[in-house]
Amino acid sequence: MESFTAARVTTANETDLIAWAKSGDRNAFSELVCIQAEGVRNVIYRMCGDVQIAEDAAQETFIQAWLHLASYRPGTSLRNWLYRIAVNAATDMLRKEKRILPGALEDLPLQDPQPGPEAHFSREERRALIQKAVLSLPEACRAVLVLREYEGLSYHEIADALDIPVGTVMSRLNYARKLLREQLEQKLSLQVEAEYV
Amino acid sequence: MSKHVTEWLSAYADGELRGSRLQHVKTHLAECEVCQMELESLDRLSGLLQEVPVPGFIPSERFAAQVSLRLPHPKRATSSKRVLEIGWWMIPVGLLASWVFINVSFLMRDVLSVANNFGLLTSVSDGILFVTANPANWSATLGQIGVLNGTTLDLASAMERFARTSLPQITLQISVAFLYLSWIAIWWARDRRQEHGQLLEG
Repeated sequence: MESFTAARVTTANETDLIAWAKSGDRNAFSELVCIQAEGVRNVIYRMCGDVQIAEDAAQETFIQAWLHLASYRPGTSLRNWLYRIAVNAATDMLRKEKRILPGALEDLPLQDPQPGPEAHFSREERRALIQKAVLSLPEACRAVLVLREYEGLSYHEIADALDIPVGTVMSRLNYARKLLREQLEQKLSLQVEAEYV
Repeated sequence: MSKHVTEWLSAYADGELRGSRLQHVKTHLAECEVCQMELESLDRLSGLLQEVPVPGFIPSERFAAQVSLRLPHPKRATSSKRVLEIGWWMIPVGLLASWVFINVSFLMRDVLSVANNFGLLTSVSDGILFVTANPANWSATLGQIGVLNGTTLDLASAMERFARTSLPQITLQISVAFLYLSWIAIWWARDRRQEHGQLLEG
């Protein structure tokens, strides 16, 4: 199916590209990869915190998508379908690459010269601290948080992408945010002065 | 003041609440400082998370080219696989044919046996009718030498007749039915596994 020209591909919309890719057109699929690469790599990077792993897992995501394109249901969101494969690929990759798992998070460049609410962090240190907190979340909660906070998916889209009920999305998101606030509020002045009555 | 709405604040901040729930949270927030602070804290957390930038990935076009090089060509079923697949689907056909053959054979035997009893098949091979020609060989022999007599002889004769005539038919039919049910069970399990695999991949 190499007969499709690049020009035809670039002017096509996503539905056409998917249909052509399903029939074996590699150029059409490459165009889809171009369109979706950024989102997929971002999701995986937010899940694992490592650029190289993100690149590798994103490649694996698209290869799996190519191999199982027949199981993609037309009319549904390709992005959400890819995100689901991406989250699985990131999880698999993390299990293989133990070095990025929470046990190795200490490797992240972070120093805490003045522990406590008054601590002052450089921008890089703040970023490292936040990333460390995100990476320490349980995988299921992290996936929901990443899709919501960084990709801006609605609860229904997340539920669709991860194949979980909307209620579960809500509870995982609540839990993830609770854990993050517990970890970050002291060091980054996120403290909630709330006192429940 | 109504009960705190902490559990709904995340969804509220994300714009995911609708209808009466949304109204309830709005009303509560208007009068509850604790929940207001909680909401502000969630907003600050969201802002903090955005502070972590995405790294510089390789350009999407180059990435797509790398993926393209790794894309496998569509698999084509090998001839041996195709033969196995055809063989798999021939199993129930074979079992059905066996079942028909068994029933026809026994029916023919019964017909020939009846015909023989009426003396219509004097020249038919004994091999075909050896079972029915004398369906109680052993019990008759035991009766002749005096081991069995009366009721026990009748009972032994009936059992031997049953073992020689009906039991093979029943055994063969049960075997065919068992094999057929096993094939259905394997087919179902295989189908479920494929479906499950697609869901996982999907």
